Amino acid sequence: MYIEELHLRNYRNYEELTVSFEDRVNVFIGENAQGKTNLMESIYVLAMAKSHRTSNDKDLIRWDEEYAKIEGRIKKKYGSLPMQLVVSKKGKRAKCNHLEQRKLSQYVGNMNVVMFAPEDLHLVKGSPQVRRRFIDMEIGQVSTVYLHDISQYQKILQQRNHYLKQLQTRKVKDETMLEILTEQFIQTAVKIISKRFEFLRLLEKWALPIHSGISRGIETLKIQYKPSVDVSEEQELSKMIEVYEEKFNKLRKKEIERGTTLFGPHRDDLVFFVNERDVQTFGSQGQQRTTALSLKLAEIELIHAEIGEYPILLLDDVLSELDDYRQSHLLNTIQGKVQTFVTTTSVDGIDHQTLKEASAYQVESGMITKVQ
Amino acid sequence: MHYPEPISKLIDSFMKLPGIGPKTAARLAFFVLSMKEDTVLDFAKALVNAKRNLSFCSVCGHITDQDPCYICEDQRRDRTIICVLQDPKDVIAMEKMKEFNGLYHVLHGAISPMDGIGPEDINIPDLLKRLQDETVQEVIMATNPNIEGEATAMYISRLLKPSGIRVTRIAHGLPVGGDLEYADEVTLSKAIEGRREV
Repeated sequence: MYIEELHLRNYRNYEELTVSFEDRVNVFIGENAQGKTNLMESIYVLAMAKSHRTSNDKDLIRWDEEYAKIEGRIKKKYGSLPMQLVVSKKGKRAKCNHLEQRKLSQYVGNMNVVMFAPEDLHLVKGSPQVRRRFIDMEIGQVSTVYLHDISQYQKILQQRNHYLKQLQTRKVKDETMLEILTEQFIQTAVKIISKRFEFLRLLEKWALPIHSGISRGIETLKIQYKPSVDVSEEQELSKMIEVYEEKFNKLRKKEIERGTTLFGPHRDDLVFFVNERDVQTFGSQGQQRTTALSLKLAEIELIHAEIGEYPILLLDDVLSELDDYRQSHLLNTIQGKVQTFVTTTSVDGIDHQTLKEASAYQVESGMITKVQ
Repeated sequence: MHYPEPISKLIDSFMKLPGIGPKTAARLAFFVLSMKEDTVLDFAKALVNAKRNLSFCSVCGHITDQDPCYICEDQRRDRTIICVLQDPKDVIAMEKMKEFNGLYHVLHGAISPMDGIGPEDINIPDLLKRLQDETVQEVIMATNPNIEGEATAMYISRLLKPSGIRVTRIAHGLPVGGDLEYADEVTLSKAIEGRREV
Protein backbone atom coordinates (compact mmCIF):
# COMPACT_ATOMS: atom_id res chain seq x y z
CA MET A 1 0.00 0.00 0.00
CA TYR A 2 1.09 3.57 -0.40
CA ILE A 3 -0.07 7.12 0.23
CA GLU A 4 -1.13 8.85 -2.95
CA GLU A 5 -2.01 12.13 -1.36
CA LEU A 6 -1.67 13.72 2.04
CA HIS A 7 -3.58 16.72 3.26
CA LEU A 8 -2.88 18.52 6.54
CA ARG A 9 -4.69 21.36 8.18
CA ASN A 10 -3.59 23.07 11.39
CA TYR A 11 -1.26 20.19 12.11
CA ARG A 12 1.68 21.28 14.31
CA ASN A 13 3.56 23.84 12.17
CA TYR A 14 1.51 23.14 9.02
CA GLU A 15 -1.36 25.49 8.38
CA GLU A 16 -2.51 23.94 5.12
CA LEU A 17 -0.67 21.41 3.04
CA THR A 18 -1.55 19.15 0.16
CA VAL A 19 1.10 16.95 -1.35
CA SER A 20 1.08 13.86 -3.53
CA PHE A 21 3.59 11.06 -3.34
CA GLU A 22 4.79 8.29 -5.53
CA ASP A 23 5.11 4.63 -4.78
CA ARG A 24 8.82 4.68 -4.01
CA VAL A 25 11.33 6.38 -1.78
CA ASN A 26 10.42 9.96 -0.89
CA VAL A 27 13.07 12.07 0.78
CA PHE A 28 12.31 15.13 2.88
CA ILE A 29 15.29 17.45 2.97
CA GLY A 30 15.43 20.44 5.26
CA GLU A 31 17.21 22.20 8.07
CA ASN A 32 16.38 21.46 11.68
CA ALA A 33 13.02 22.59 13.06
CA GLN A 34 11.37 23.02 9.67
CA GLY A 35 8.75 20.28 10.08
CA LYS A 36 10.28 17.11 8.66
CA THR A 37 9.49 14.99 11.67
CA ASN A 38 6.06 16.59 12.01
CA LEU A 39 5.31 15.39 8.51
CA MET A 40 6.42 11.86 9.36
CA GLU A 41 4.44 11.98 12.55
CA SER A 42 1.29 13.04 10.69
CA ILE A 43 1.51 9.94 8.48
CA TYR A 44 2.01 7.81 11.56
CA VAL A 45 -0.93 9.42 13.36
CA LEU A 46 -3.15 8.95 10.30
CA ALA A 47 -2.48 5.21 10.53
CA MET A 48 -2.37 4.62 14.28
CA ALA A 49 -4.64 7.40 15.58
CA LYS A 50 -1.94 8.30 18.07
CA SER A 51 1.49 9.80 18.00
CA HIS A 52 4.76 8.01 18.65
CA ARG A 53 6.17 11.15 20.22
CA THR A 54 3.50 12.38 22.57
CA SER A 55 0.61 10.92 24.48
CA ASN A 56 -1.14 14.27 24.59
CA ASP A 57 -3.20 14.63 21.42
CA LYS A 58 -3.59 18.35 21.92
CA ASP A 59 0.09 18.80 21.09
CA LEU A 60 -0.76 17.92 17.49
CA ILE A 61 -2.98 20.95 17.03
CA ARG A 62 -1.38 24.06 15.58
CA TRP A 63 -0.90 26.86 18.09
CA ASP A 64 -4.12 28.76 18.85
CA GLU A 65 -6.26 26.57 16.59
CA GLU A 66 -9.26 24.47 17.55
CA TYR A 67 -8.54 21.29 15.68
CA ALA A 68 -6.03 19.51 13.48
CA LYS A 69 -7.04 17.48 10.45
CA ILE A 70 -5.08 14.81 8.60
CA GLU A 71 -6.42 13.30 5.42
CA GLY A 72 -4.83 10.76 3.18
CA ARG A 73 -5.66 8.67 0.19
CA ILE A 74 -4.18 5.22 0.55
CA LYS A 75 -3.69 3.15 -2.56
CA LYS A 76 -4.21 -0.48 -1.77
CA LYS A 77 -4.20 -3.59 -3.88
CA TYR A 78 -7.89 -3.22 -4.52
CA GLY A 79 -8.47 0.50 -5.00
CA SER A 80 -7.98 3.71 -3.06
CA LEU A 81 -9.07 4.21 0.51
CA PRO A 82 -9.66 7.72 1.88
CA MET A 83 -8.76 8.07 5.56
CA GLN A 84 -9.41 11.06 7.77
CA LEU A 85 -8.53 11.87 11.35
CA VAL A 86 -9.62 15.02 13.14
CA VAL A 87 -8.04 15.83 16.48
CA SER A 88 -9.85 18.46 18.49
CA LYS A 89 -9.59 19.52 22.10
CA LYS A 90 -12.57 17.32 22.88
CA GLY A 91 -11.21 14.18 21.28
CA LYS A 92 -10.59 12.38 18.03
CA ARG A 93 -12.88 11.56 15.15
CA ALA A 94 -11.86 9.06 12.56
CA LYS A 95 -13.32 8.39 9.15
CA CYS A 96 -12.44 5.58 6.89
CA ASN A 97 -13.85 5.50 3.38
CA HIS A 98 -15.96 8.55 4.37
CA LEU A 99 -17.65 6.55 7.11
CA GLU A 100 -17.27 7.64 10.69
CA GLN A 101 -15.62 4.95 12.81
CA ARG A 102 -17.10 4.95 16.26
CA LYS A 103 -14.36 2.81 17.69
CA LEU A 104 -10.75 3.68 17.04
CA SER A 105 -9.92 -0.01 17.20
CA GLN A 106 -11.99 -0.35 14.02
CA TYR A 107 -10.03 2.43 12.37
CA VAL A 108 -6.51 1.38 13.20
CA GLY A 109 -5.26 -1.35 10.91
CA ASN A 110 -6.72 0.02 7.69
CA MET A 111 -3.41 1.62 6.92
CA ASN A 112 -0.18 0.02 8.06
CA VAL A 113 3.02 1.86 8.83
CA VAL A 114 6.35 0.91 10.29
CA MET A 115 8.23 3.76 11.91
CA PHE A 116 11.95 3.68 12.44
CA ALA A 117 13.15 6.66 14.43
CA PRO A 118 16.32 7.23 16.47
CA GLU A 119 14.49 6.23 19.65
CA ASP A 120 13.87 2.80 18.12
CA LEU A 121 17.57 2.19 18.36
CA HIS A 122 16.87 2.09 22.10
CA LEU A 123 14.51 -0.79 21.60
CA VAL A 124 17.17 -3.17 22.85
CA LYS A 125 18.84 -1.23 25.61
CA GLY A 126 15.95 1.00 26.68
CA SER A 127 13.43 0.29 29.43
CA PRO A 128 11.01 -2.66 29.23
CA GLN A 129 8.23 -0.18 28.62
CA VAL A 130 9.70 0.65 25.20
CA ARG A 131 9.66 -3.02 24.24
CA ARG A 132 6.11 -3.60 25.50
CA ARG A 133 4.96 -0.58 23.53
CA PHE A 134 6.70 -1.96 20.45
CA ILE A 135 5.04 -5.33 20.71
CA ASP A 136 1.58 -3.92 21.51
CA MET A 137 1.67 -1.45 18.63
CA GLU A 138 2.77 -4.10 16.17
CA ILE A 139 0.27 -6.77 17.12
CA GLY A 140 -2.42 -4.09 17.26
CA GLN A 141 -1.80 -3.24 13.62
CA VAL A 142 -2.66 -6.72 12.48
CA SER A 143 -5.19 -7.75 15.14
CA THR A 144 -8.23 -5.71 16.16
CA VAL A 145 -9.10 -8.29 18.77
CA TYR A 146 -5.72 -7.75 20.42
CA LEU A 147 -6.29 -3.98 20.56
CA HIS A 148 -9.60 -4.64 22.26
CA ASP A 149 -8.04 -7.08 24.72
CA ILE A 150 -5.32 -4.58 25.60
CA SER A 151 -7.81 -1.83 26.30
CA GLN A 152 -9.94 -4.21 28.41
CA TYR A 153 -6.80 -5.24 30.24
CA GLN A 154 -5.91 -1.64 31.07
CA LYS A 155 -9.38 -1.06 32.49
CA ILE A 156 -9.37 -4.22 34.59
CA LEU A 157 -5.89 -3.38 35.83
CA GLN A 158 -7.10 0.04 36.93
CA GLN A 159 -10.13 -1.43 38.68
CA ARG A 160 -8.00 -4.02 40.42
CA ASN A 161 -5.38 -1.48 41.50
CA HIS A 162 -8.08 0.76 42.91
CA TYR A 163 -9.54 -2.10 44.84
CA LEU A 164 -6.14 -3.13 46.17
CA LYS A 165 -5.59 0.47 47.30
CA GLN A 166 -8.92 0.37 49.12
CA LEU A 167 -7.95 -2.90 50.80
CA GLN A 168 -4.57 -1.44 51.70
CA THR A 169 -6.11 1.58 53.40
CA ARG A 170 -8.76 -0.70 55.01
CA LYS A 171 -11.61 1.16 53.34
CA VAL A 172 -13.02 -2.19 52.34
CA LYS A 173 -12.47 -5.67 53.74
CA ASP A 174 -14.31 -7.88 51.28
CA GLU A 175 -11.75 -10.07 49.52
CA THR A 176 -14.36 -11.80 47.36
CA MET A 177 -14.38 -8.77 45.09
CA LEU A 178 -10.60 -9.00 44.79
CA GLU A 179 -10.99 -12.62 43.73
CA ILE A 180 -13.46 -11.60 41.03
CA LEU A 181 -11.21 -8.86 39.73
CA THR A 182 -8.28 -11.26 39.79
CA GLU A 183 -10.27 -13.80 37.80
CA GLN A 184 -11.14 -11.17 35.18
CA PHE A 185 -7.55 -9.99 35.17
CA ILE A 186 -6.15 -13.45 34.58
CA GLN A 187 -8.61 -14.23 31.79
CA THR A 188 -7.46 -11.22 29.78
CA ALA A 189 -3.81 -11.49 30.79
CA VAL A 190 -3.37 -15.01 29.41
CA LYS A 191 -5.06 -14.04 26.14
CA ILE A 192 -2.58 -11.20 25.73
CA ILE A 193 0.40 -13.33 26.67
CA SER A 194 -0.43 -16.15 24.30
CA LYS A 195 -0.93 -13.66 21.48
CA ARG A 196 2.46 -12.14 22.27
CA PHE A 197 4.11 -15.55 22.27
CA GLU A 198 2.62 -16.28 18.88
CA PHE A 199 3.64 -12.92 17.44
CA LEU A 200 7.22 -13.17 18.69
CA ARG A 201 7.60 -16.63 17.17
CA LEU A 202 6.62 -15.16 13.80
CA LEU A 203 8.77 -12.08 14.25
CA GLU A 204 11.76 -14.23 15.10
CA LYS A 205 11.21 -16.34 12.04
CA TRP A 206 11.41 -13.26 9.82
CA ALA A 207 14.16 -11.52 11.78
CA LEU A 208 16.55 -14.46 11.80
CA PRO A 209 17.57 -14.41 8.10
CA ILE A 210 17.56 -10.61 8.02
CA HIS A 211 19.84 -10.36 11.02
CA SER A 212 22.13 -12.96 9.64
CA GLY A 213 22.26 -10.98 6.38
CA ILE A 214 23.19 -7.72 8.07
CA SER A 215 25.81 -9.38 10.24
CA ARG A 216 27.29 -11.14 7.20
CA GLY A 217 26.19 -14.49 8.43
CA ILE A 218 28.05 -14.58 11.71
CA GLU A 219 25.23 -13.78 14.11
CA THR A 220 22.07 -15.66 15.07
CA LEU A 221 19.24 -13.69 16.63
CA LYS A 222 16.83 -15.13 19.15
CA ILE A 223 13.89 -13.40 20.76
CA GLN A 224 12.52 -14.49 24.08
CA TYR A 225 9.48 -13.34 25.98
CA LYS A 226 10.23 -12.82 29.65
CA PRO A 227 6.97 -13.09 31.54
CA SER A 228 6.66 -11.77 35.10
CA VAL A 229 4.74 -14.90 36.02
CA ASP A 230 6.34 -18.19 35.14
CA VAL A 231 4.22 -19.26 32.18
CA SER A 232 5.62 -20.77 29.03
CA GLU A 233 4.71 -20.92 25.42
CA GLU A 234 3.98 -24.64 25.36
CA GLN A 235 1.32 -24.40 28.05
CA GLU A 236 -2.36 -24.50 27.24
CA LEU A 237 -4.42 -21.48 28.23
CA SER A 238 -5.98 -23.43 31.10
CA LYS A 239 -2.54 -24.32 32.45
CA MET A 240 -1.42 -20.68 32.24
CA ILE A 241 -4.53 -19.65 34.17
CA GLU A 242 -3.64 -22.18 36.86
CA VAL A 243 -0.09 -20.86 37.16
CA TYR A 244 -1.38 -17.31 37.41
CA GLU A 245 -4.00 -18.23 40.02
CA GLU A 246 -1.37 -19.90 42.16
CA LYS A 247 0.93 -16.90 41.95
CA PHE A 248 -1.79 -14.43 42.89
CA ASN A 249 -2.98 -16.62 45.76
CA LYS A 250 0.53 -16.77 47.15
CA LEU A 251 1.15 -13.07 46.86
CA ARG A 252 -2.21 -11.73 47.86
CA LYS A 253 -0.96 -10.33 51.17
CA LYS A 254 1.96 -8.61 49.51
CA GLU A 255 -0.24 -7.08 46.83
CA ILE A 256 -2.61 -5.68 49.43
CA GLU A 257 0.34 -4.34 51.39
CA ARG A 258 1.67 -2.57 48.32
CA GLY A 259 -1.77 -1.63 47.03
CA THR A 260 -1.03 -2.49 43.43
CA THR A 261 -0.93 -5.34 40.94
CA LEU A 262 2.59 -6.76 40.94
CA PHE A 263 2.44 -9.18 38.01
CA GLY A 264 0.97 -9.43 34.58
CA PRO A 265 1.61 -8.51 30.95
CA HIS A 266 2.18 -4.91 32.03
CA ARG A 267 5.34 -6.08 33.81
CA ASP A 268 6.61 -8.51 31.17
CA ASP A 269 9.64 -7.94 28.99
CA LEU A 270 11.47 -9.09 25.88
CA VAL A 271 15.04 -10.35 25.74
CA PHE A 272 17.14 -10.53 22.62
CA PHE A 273 19.99 -12.97 22.23
CA VAL A 274 22.75 -12.81 19.66
CA ASN A 275 24.75 -16.03 19.49
CA GLU A 276 23.13 -17.09 22.77
CA ARG A 277 24.21 -13.93 24.59
CA ASP A 278 21.88 -11.29 25.95
CA VAL A 279 22.35 -8.28 23.68
CA GLN A 280 21.14 -5.80 26.25
CA THR A 281 23.88 -6.69 28.73
CA PHE A 282 26.65 -8.14 26.59
CA GLY A 283 26.02 -6.76 23.11
CA SER A 284 28.06 -3.97 21.56
CA GLN A 285 26.43 -0.74 20.38
CA GLY A 286 26.66 -2.08 16.85
CA GLN A 287 24.96 -5.35 17.75
CA GLN A 288 22.16 -3.48 19.49
CA ARG A 289 21.62 -1.38 16.40
CA THR A 290 21.69 -4.36 14.12
CA THR A 291 19.12 -6.06 16.33
CA ALA A 292 16.81 -3.05 16.28
CA LEU A 293 17.19 -2.80 12.51
CA SER A 294 16.49 -6.48 11.91
CA LEU A 295 13.38 -6.29 14.10
CA LYS A 296 12.02 -3.37 12.11
CA LEU A 297 12.74 -5.03 8.79
CA ALA A 298 11.19 -8.26 10.07
CA GLU A 299 8.10 -6.28 11.00
CA ILE A 300 7.73 -5.15 7.40
CA GLU A 301 7.87 -8.73 6.18
CA LEU A 302 5.53 -9.89 8.91
CA ILE A 303 2.88 -7.34 8.06
CA HIS A 304 3.23 -8.33 4.44
CA ALA A 305 2.72 -11.97 5.34
CA GLU A 306 -0.28 -11.21 7.57
CA ILE A 307 -2.23 -8.79 5.39
CA GLY A 308 -0.81 -9.42 1.94
CA GLU A 309 0.55 -5.92 1.39
CA TYR A 310 3.70 -4.11 2.36
CA PRO A 311 3.27 -1.36 4.96
CA ILE A 312 4.51 2.19 4.53
CA LEU A 313 7.96 2.71 6.02
CA LEU A 314 8.90 5.89 7.84
CA LEU A 315 12.61 6.46 8.40
CA ASP A 316 13.00 9.48 10.59
CA ASP A 317 16.62 10.59 10.89
CA VAL A 318 17.95 7.08 11.13
CA LEU A 319 19.97 6.77 7.95
CA SER A 320 22.61 9.03 9.41
CA GLU A 321 22.72 6.84 12.51
CA LEU A 322 23.57 3.71 10.55
CA ASP A 323 26.91 2.94 8.94
CA ASP A 324 27.25 2.52 5.16
CA TYR A 325 26.88 -1.22 5.23
CA ARG A 326 23.70 -1.22 7.32
CA GLN A 327 22.33 1.67 5.28
CA SER A 328 22.69 -0.15 2.02
CA HIS A 329 21.28 -3.33 3.52
CA LEU A 330 18.23 -1.42 4.67
CA LEU A 331 17.76 0.32 1.34
CA ASN A 332 18.25 -2.90 -0.60
CA THR A 333 15.55 -4.63 1.38
CA ILE A 334 12.94 -1.99 0.71
CA GLN A 335 13.86 -1.23 -2.85
CA GLY A 336 10.97 -1.39 -5.24
CA LYS A 337 8.44 -2.85 -2.84
CA VAL A 338 7.89 -0.50 0.09
CA GLN A 339 6.85 3.12 -0.11
CA THR A 340 9.35 4.82 2.13
CA PHE A 341 9.66 8.27 3.62
CA VAL A 342 13.08 9.44 4.68
CA THR A 343 14.05 12.63 6.48
CA THR A 344 17.53 14.06 6.34
CA THR A 345 19.27 17.41 6.61
CA SER A 346 21.28 16.72 3.47
CA VAL A 347 21.60 13.92 0.96
CA ASP A 348 25.35 14.26 0.75
CA GLY A 349 26.44 11.51 3.11
CA ILE A 350 23.98 9.04 1.66
CA ASP A 351 25.15 7.49 -1.55
CA HIS A 352 22.94 4.76 -2.87
CA GLN A 353 21.09 3.79 -5.98
CA THR A 354 17.71 3.89 -4.25
CA LEU A 355 18.17 7.43 -3.09
CA LYS A 356 19.20 8.53 -6.56
CA GLU A 357 15.92 7.27 -7.91
CA ALA A 358 13.95 8.84 -5.10
CA SER A 359 11.65 11.86 -5.23
CA ALA A 360 13.06 14.66 -3.15
CA TYR A 361 11.09 17.33 -1.31
CA GLN A 362 12.45 20.47 0.27
CA VAL A 363 10.84 21.22 3.65
CA GLU A 364 11.01 24.79 4.85
CA SER A 365 9.00 26.29 7.73
CA GLY A 366 5.81 24.37 7.11
CA MET A 367 5.97 24.41 3.29
CA ILE A 368 6.98 21.68 0.90
CA THR A 369 8.35 21.96 -2.59
CA LYS A 370 9.27 19.12 -4.86
CA VAL A 371 12.87 19.18 -5.99
CA GLN A 372 13.19 18.48 -9.70
CA MET B 1 -27.07 40.16 26.72
CA HIS B 2 -29.23 40.26 29.80
CA TYR B 3 -32.40 38.17 30.25
CA PRO B 4 -35.18 39.06 32.70
CA GLU B 5 -34.81 36.92 35.79
CA PRO B 6 -37.73 34.47 35.24
CA ILE B 7 -36.44 33.46 31.85
CA SER B 8 -32.83 33.14 32.88
CA LYS B 9 -34.00 30.90 35.74
CA LEU B 10 -35.93 28.78 33.25
CA ILE B 11 -32.90 28.53 30.98
CA ASP B 12 -30.84 27.50 33.97
CA SER B 13 -33.35 24.78 34.83
CA PHE B 14 -33.35 23.35 31.32
CA MET B 15 -29.57 23.21 31.39
CA LYS B 16 -29.76 20.81 34.32
CA LEU B 17 -31.09 18.16 31.92
CA PRO B 18 -28.61 15.86 30.21
CA GLY B 19 -27.60 16.80 26.68
CA ILE B 20 -28.97 20.34 26.93
CA GLY B 21 -26.51 23.19 26.50
CA PRO B 22 -27.06 26.95 26.82
CA LYS B 23 -28.36 27.44 23.26
CA THR B 24 -30.90 24.61 23.34
CA ALA B 25 -31.94 25.69 26.82
CA ALA B 26 -32.63 29.24 25.60
CA ARG B 27 -34.61 27.91 22.64
CA LEU B 28 -36.71 25.68 24.88
CA ALA B 29 -37.28 28.49 27.38
CA PHE B 30 -38.54 30.85 24.69
CA PHE B 31 -40.74 28.13 23.32
CA VAL B 32 -42.31 27.70 26.75
CA LEU B 33 -43.17 31.41 26.69
CA SER B 34 -45.12 30.91 23.48
CA MET B 35 -47.07 27.93 24.84
CA LYS B 36 -50.62 28.15 26.20
CA GLU B 37 -50.81 28.54 29.95
CA ASP B 38 -52.75 25.28 30.40
CA THR B 39 -50.17 23.32 28.53
CA VAL B 40 -47.39 24.84 30.60
CA LEU B 41 -49.28 24.04 33.80
CA ASP B 42 -49.80 20.42 32.70
CA PHE B 43 -46.16 20.19 31.84
CA ALA B 44 -45.07 21.52 35.22
CA LYS B 45 -47.52 19.20 36.99
CA ALA B 46 -46.24 16.22 35.05
CA LEU B 47 -42.70 17.03 36.18
CA VAL B 48 -43.63 17.39 39.82
CA ASN B 49 -45.91 14.36 39.81
CA ALA B 50 -43.31 12.15 38.24
CA LYS B 51 -40.91 13.11 40.96
CA ARG B 52 -43.38 13.07 43.83
CA ASN B 53 -45.41 9.98 43.01
CA LEU B 54 -42.68 7.76 41.65
CA SER B 55 -40.35 5.94 43.94
CA PHE B 56 -38.33 2.77 43.79
CA CYS B 57 -40.09 -0.49 44.50
CA SER B 58 -39.04 -1.74 47.91
CA VAL B 59 -38.83 -5.29 46.59
CA CYS B 60 -37.14 -5.09 43.21
CA GLY B 61 -35.89 -1.49 42.92
CA HIS B 62 -37.80 -0.72 39.72
CA ILE B 63 -39.43 2.73 39.39
CA THR B 64 -43.06 2.60 40.44
CA ASP B 65 -46.04 4.64 41.58
CA GLN B 66 -47.23 1.93 43.96
CA ASP B 67 -45.27 -0.21 46.36
CA PRO B 68 -44.61 -3.02 45.60
CA CYS B 69 -44.55 -2.35 41.87
CA TYR B 70 -47.02 -3.84 39.39
CA ILE B 71 -44.56 -6.52 38.33
CA CYS B 72 -43.83 -7.72 41.85
CA GLU B 73 -47.59 -7.66 42.62
CA ASP B 74 -48.62 -9.62 39.54
CA GLN B 75 -49.51 -13.12 40.80
CA ARG B 76 -49.42 -14.65 37.31
CA ARG B 77 -45.67 -14.14 37.07
CA ASP B 78 -43.21 -16.93 37.72
CA ARG B 79 -41.78 -16.35 41.19
CA THR B 80 -39.06 -18.96 40.89
CA ILE B 81 -36.93 -16.89 38.55
CA ILE B 82 -35.35 -13.45 39.00
CA CYS B 83 -33.60 -11.44 36.33
CA VAL B 84 -30.94 -9.05 37.70
CA LEU B 85 -30.50 -5.78 35.79
CA GLN B 86 -28.45 -2.62 36.16
CA ASP B 87 -31.03 0.01 35.41
CA PRO B 88 -34.84 0.57 35.46
CA LYS B 89 -34.57 1.29 31.73
CA ASP B 90 -33.37 -2.29 31.29
CA VAL B 91 -36.61 -3.54 32.87
CA ILE B 92 -38.57 -1.60 30.25
CA ALA B 93 -36.45 -3.18 27.53
CA MET B 94 -37.02 -6.67 28.93
CA GLU B 95 -40.76 -6.06 29.30
CA LYS B 96 -41.02 -4.97 25.67
CA MET B 97 -39.79 -8.42 24.75
CA LYS B 98 -42.90 -9.98 26.42
CA GLU B 99 -41.13 -13.33 26.61
CA PHE B 100 -39.85 -13.15 30.13
CA ASN B 101 -42.40 -13.95 32.77
CA GLY B 102 -40.28 -13.95 35.91
CA LEU B 103 -39.46 -11.15 38.33
CA TYR B 104 -36.76 -8.50 38.20
CA HIS B 105 -34.18 -7.03 40.47
CA VAL B 106 -32.66 -3.65 39.62
CA LEU B 107 -29.18 -2.97 40.99
CA HIS B 108 -28.94 0.72 40.07
CA GLY B 109 -25.38 0.49 38.85
CA ALA B 110 -22.47 -1.90 38.68
CA ILE B 111 -19.49 -2.48 40.93
CA SER B 112 -16.60 -0.24 39.94
CA PRO B 113 -13.79 0.34 42.46
CA MET B 114 -12.41 3.08 40.19
CA ASP B 115 -15.57 5.14 40.73
CA GLY B 116 -15.77 4.18 44.37
CA ILE B 117 -18.80 1.93 43.86
CA GLY B 118 -18.59 -1.22 45.96
CA PRO B 119 -21.04 -4.12 46.39
CA GLU B 120 -22.82 -2.35 49.30
CA ASP B 121 -23.40 0.75 47.18
CA ILE B 122 -25.71 -1.00 44.76
CA ASN B 123 -28.87 -2.96 45.45
CA ILE B 124 -27.14 -6.28 46.27
CA PRO B 125 -28.06 -6.67 50.00
CA ASP B 126 -31.76 -6.48 49.10
CA LEU B 127 -31.28 -9.17 46.46
CA LEU B 128 -29.74 -11.50 49.02
CA LYS B 129 -32.64 -10.89 51.39
CA ARG B 130 -35.10 -11.71 48.61
CA LEU B 131 -33.39 -15.00 47.95
CA GLN B 132 -33.59 -16.21 51.54
CA ASP B 133 -36.97 -17.86 51.25
CA GLU B 134 -36.82 -20.86 49.01
CA THR B 135 -39.13 -19.96 46.13
CA VAL B 136 -36.40 -18.66 43.82
CA GLN B 137 -34.62 -21.37 41.86
CA GLU B 138 -32.83 -19.39 39.19
CA VAL B 139 -31.15 -15.98 38.97
CA ILE B 140 -30.39 -14.61 35.51
CA MET B 141 -27.54 -12.12 35.46
CA ALA B 142 -28.40 -9.59 32.77
CA THR B 143 -25.88 -6.85 33.62
CA ASN B 144 -24.16 -5.09 30.73
CA PRO B 145 -21.50 -7.01 28.82
CA ASN B 146 -18.63 -4.73 29.84
CA ILE B 147 -15.95 -5.08 32.50
CA GLU B 148 -18.00 -3.64 35.36
CA GLY B 149 -21.17 -5.50 34.42
CA GLU B 150 -19.23 -8.72 34.08
CA ALA B 151 -17.51 -8.24 37.47
CA THR B 152 -20.86 -7.57 39.10
CA ALA B 153 -22.37 -10.72 37.60
CA MET B 154 -19.40 -12.78 38.73
CA TYR B 155 -19.53 -11.27 42.20
CA ILE B 156 -23.19 -12.05 42.71
CA SER B 157 -22.84 -15.56 41.37
CA ARG B 158 -19.98 -16.11 43.83
CA LEU B 159 -22.19 -14.96 46.70
CA LEU B 160 -25.00 -17.26 45.62
CA LYS B 161 -22.88 -20.35 45.12
CA PRO B 162 -23.36 -21.76 48.67
CA SER B 163 -27.15 -21.36 48.42
CA GLY B 164 -27.39 -23.80 45.53
CA ILE B 165 -29.54 -21.43 43.47
CA ARG B 166 -28.90 -21.77 39.76
CA VAL B 167 -27.15 -18.65 38.39
CA THR B 168 -27.10 -18.04 34.65
CA ARG B 169 -25.59 -15.31 32.49
CA ILE B 170 -27.27 -13.93 29.37
CA ALA B 171 -25.48 -14.75 26.12
CA HIS B 172 -23.55 -12.22 24.11
CA GLY B 173 -22.44 -12.22 20.51
CA LEU B 174 -24.07 -11.53 17.20
CA PRO B 175 -27.26 -9.47 16.98
CA VAL B 176 -30.19 -11.40 15.56
CA GLY B 177 -31.24 -10.58 12.03
CA GLY B 178 -27.86 -9.05 11.24
CA ASP B 179 -25.37 -10.13 8.66
CA LEU B 180 -22.23 -11.87 9.76
CA GLU B 181 -20.13 -9.77 7.41
CA TYR B 182 -21.10 -6.53 9.17
CA ALA B 183 -20.17 -7.69 12.66
CA ASP B 184 -16.99 -6.18 14.07
CA GLU B 185 -14.05 -8.43 14.88
CA VAL B 186 -14.41 -8.19 18.65
CA THR B 187 -18.09 -9.17 18.64
CA LEU B 188 -17.32 -12.00 16.24
CA SER B 189 -14.54 -13.33 18.44
CA LYS B 190 -16.94 -13.28 21.42
CA ALA B 191 -19.50 -15.14 19.34
CA ILE B 192 -16.92 -17.79 18.48
CA GLU B 193 -15.91 -18.11 22.14
CA GLY B 194 -19.54 -18.63 23.13
CA ARG B 195 -20.42 -21.09 20.36
CA ARG B 196 -22.55 -24.10 21.18
CA GLU B 197 -23.28 -27.56 19.92
CA VAL B 198 -26.22 -27.84 17.52
